[in-house]
Amino acid sequence: MSSTVRDPAASPLRRALALLGPLRDADLVVVAAALGLTGVGLVAIHSAKAASLAAQGLPATLYTGRQAVAAAIGVVVMLVATLVDYRRFRPFVPFAYLGTVLLLVLVLTPLGTSVRGSQRWITLLGQQIQPSELMKIALLLGLAMLFHETEGVPGLGRTLLAVGLTLLPMGLVFAQPDLGTSITYLFLTGVVLLVSGTRVRWLLLIAVSGIGAFLAALRTDLIRDYQLERLTVFLGADAPDADLTGALFQTRQSMIAIGSGGTYGKGLLEGTQTALSFVPDNHTDFVFTVIGEELGFVGAASVLALFAVLLWRALRIASQALDRDAMIVAAGIGGVLVIQAFVNVGMTVGLMPVTGLPLPFLSYGGTSLISWLGMTGLLLNVHLRSRQGLIGGRW
Amino acid sequence: MRGPRRRGASTPPPPPAVVVPVRRIRSAFAVVLVLIGLTVAQLVQVQVVDGAEHAARGERQRLRTVELPAVRGRIYDREGAVLATSVDAAAVHADPAAFRPTTRPDGTRVPAAGDRREVARALAPLLDLDPVALADRLDRDGRFVYLARQVDLATAEAVMDLRLPGIGMHVEPRRAYPSGGTAAQVVGFTGIDGAGLQGLEASHDHVLRGRSGTLLVEHAPGGLAIASGERELVPAEPGADLVLTLDREIQHVAERVAADVSARYDALGATVVVLEVGTGDVLGMASAPTFDPNARRTGDAAAWRNRAVTDLFEPGSTQKALTVAVALESGAITPATAFDVPDRLTVGGHTFTDVSRHGVERWTVGDVLARSSNVGTILVAERIGEEALREGLLALGQARPTGLGFPGEVAGHLPAADAWWATTLPTVAIGYGTSTTLLGLATSYATLANDGVRVTPRLVRGTVGLDGRLEPAPPAAAERVLSDRTAGVVLELLGAAVDGPGATGGLAAVPGYRVGGKTGTARKPLVDAAGYSDQYVASFVGVAPLDDPRLVVAVMVDAPQGAYYGGAVAAPAFAEVMHASLLARRIVPDGSGRSLDELVRSAAAAPAPTAP
Repeated sequence: MSSTVRDPAASPLRRALALLGPLRDADLVVVAAALGLTGVGLVAIHSAKAASLAAQGLPATLYTGRQAVAAAIGVVVMLVATLVDYRRFRPFVPFAYLGTVLLLVLVLTPLGTSVRGSQRWITLLGQQIQPSELMKIALLLGLAMLFHETEGVPGLGRTLLAVGLTLLPMGLVFAQPDLGTSITYLFLTGVVLLVSGTRVRWLLLIAVSGIGAFLAALRTDLIRDYQLERLTVFLGADAPDADLTGALFQTRQSMIAIGSGGTYGKGLLEGTQTALSFVPDNHTDFVFTVIGEELGFVGAASVLALFAVLLWRALRIASQALDRDAMIVAAGIGGVLVIQAFVNVGMTVGLMPVTGLPLPFLSYGGTSLISWLGMTGLLLNVHLRSRQGLIGGRW
Repeated sequence: MRGPRRRGASTPPPPPAVVVPVRRIRSAFAVVLVLIGLTVAQLVQVQVVDGAEHAARGERQRLRTVELPAVRGRIYDREGAVLATSVDAAAVHADPAAFRPTTRPDGTRVPAAGDRREVARALAPLLDLDPVALADRLDRDGRFVYLARQVDLATAEAVMDLRLPGIGMHVEPRRAYPSGGTAAQVVGFTGIDGAGLQGLEASHDHVLRGRSGTLLVEHAPGGLAIASGERELVPAEPGADLVLTLDREIQHVAERVAADVSARYDALGATVVVLEVGTGDVLGMASAPTFDPNARRTGDAAAWRNRAVTDLFEPGSTQKALTVAVALESGAITPATAFDVPDRLTVGGHTFTDVSRHGVERWTVGDVLARSSNVGTILVAERIGEEALREGLLALGQARPTGLGFPGEVAGHLPAADAWWATTLPTVAIGYGTSTTLLGLATSYATLANDGVRVTPRLVRGTVGLDGRLEPAPPAAAERVLSDRTAGVVLELLGAAVDGPGATGGLAAVPGYRVGGKTGTARKPLVDAAGYSDQYVASFVGVAPLDDPRLVVAVMVDAPQGAYYGGAVAAPAFAEVMHASLLARRIVPDGSGRSLDELVRSAAAAPAPTAP
């Protein structure tokens, strides 16, 4: 770093490298865990799709290639999100929130793209993106800003405003319909309220009214039959010889695939349940089945360990954050990451009902991967600022 | 809030700008750790504990066994003429997915390859099916549906020539029965998947069907085989051929005569059995009405029955020869024993009469048999006694299964020992109150013709396996049940019953051969009540040549209209079948002592039949 100061006439390459200087203090554990999960995801996606793509006469790397491009973009986004001081983001947060909400509205118009009855995508600059994934970041930043100024316990007004900020995108995403992602927003807000010091009884009140609203929704047509069916059949999913078709199908097939991996797995690209596409969506929401089958318990548990490590680092970073909003952002990222991972993995091993929710870093889907790498960047950002704050850095 | 920031002692303390809810974070972290622990525990359960079970379950749904059908064995007559064989037919199938638009993973929309209504309209006339029903089939889920099976190859090729999308065919075997199904009731038939359903096709299915091979294929959920999937091939083993005892020539005659006599007398049916004496070989076994196994859907299933073994009837007068045999064997009478025979006799309150009125005549047992006298036979039977008659008839094979082992075969009936009433003895003696199959009756006469040795009848001579050699069936079981002498005497009496004075069986005579036999005319019992109807069963059973009996022919006509006497209805049919069978088996006419030269000369000189 000192060389930059001493020699302003250095070559552009050197200047660019100098820009990366602060990365020396980056939390390498976070970087390694995030990139490791991304890499495992790329391999799993390839394994999940290579055989069936080849069978259809398409290039076996069709999905892998697209995801690799997303990963590359994601790494750039992560770098930017790391290096630019988060405090400089603050003025743009309201625009980010409103802009993403606008995208969510556009998704529901004929501009959106629908796959299997769910309208989740929109094409921007020739690229199909999924705004509901971006909304996670926008909502987190918005809530962080909302509670940044609060001293001690946030007031009722702010708390209700936070709930409102959450319900708006929730409703839009629920309308797609995408129950899983909209519930993620709820968890996100829960984590934010928890770390921002909201009174426990308000949290309970919000939780109770949320459950009440859900039960009320059951009585109307808002919750679709298949969504309800997934939840109810989940309770009987362990019956050994239950019907292999119907609503139980995915859970059953997913457990067969993961179970047949055994302790050490069948080896990369050796998963038969995977290659033969017995598990639907095994490159997206059910990508964990590929890991379970091909890498076995050892591989599956390792992936869970990486998520746990990320959570641990996120909470550590949160607790060392220089600013309240940074603390909220770091804790929120860790909380949402681990809850989403638990809901997804729990669904594949029969612990949770089937809700369409991607596995962070691993599931196929560019927007999701870029979002998570971006959030990793924010995490690193908070960490860097606190390190530099501690040692009296210049930023 | 409480909980100042945690920090190491070595780090310089900056101002605590942020209040971090450490306790909340710690509790939340603890909750999350519990969730992660739960997930890991479930992973251990699913992967480590139940791993093998899940793997097996996966294998079950992934691996499918494709059955490779074995070529079914043929069925031949005793000379090698084909009675049943398998030919190539075709199944026409469709992939309903061809009629649905799809989206490929790279986003390209693939339109449906064809319109199912158009395709159905094009196929319907070729397959002779309803276009609406066909269109419905093409609309099913899945990737495979049969449209038609067992169609001619030419039809399937015409279908393929239309080059319709999603329509395919494969060759599958179809059972074919040449000449419209000779011996249809004996041979039987198979179902659409080639398994025997009736007759010898069913009873010898284990011989004919062979062992189907298997191909283990790895399947994706869509049902398509994975090219690189693990495979294991067990080739099919063709079934063995079955060589029957039937003689196609004799069988043809038997079938024609059964059909003719049944038609001429407007009967419910007629059955003919031709047995070879000594071997028990069934040379002919025919029932009218019959059916064409190549088109059996159009016929009446009642015609599928092999009536010679499945249908019982009361034998009537043909039984009298057996009664006489038992009487002679027991020593109760001799051929010379004379009886004073009136034309009516009351036993146990029931009056038995002869067919024609006559005064009290002094007749030997030969006269009794020739005239088919009921009263005379009853007088003979009274000499034997109830128990001895019953035992004797049982020993001859009455009311026992013949041992042929044909599916649906029934044994005859003879009243149990404790069920004999005063009228049972006279009734049974003249062939009422007891029942038999036509094959059972023929087998009893074959015993008389075989010097008293009963031979189990058989339909299968042997099997021909892959090596092309005939593996003979085990020889038929033989058992002496009558003395040589008794059998000889009864045979001679049967000869007189055809060509003796006053004989009822005159129309059974066969030019060039001496035959012996017995007529039978029995009222049919009522089906739903005790007593007898005004319908008859006319029958004739006989042997030839009498000097050295080689063949037994039994004819039974069920409910003939107009004439109904066995001597009038069944005897001429017998003669026709016997004559043709003797020629077919190249059996030399009677007249032992004549040299071959003499035979040739007499045949050349005199085309006219020799008088009996």
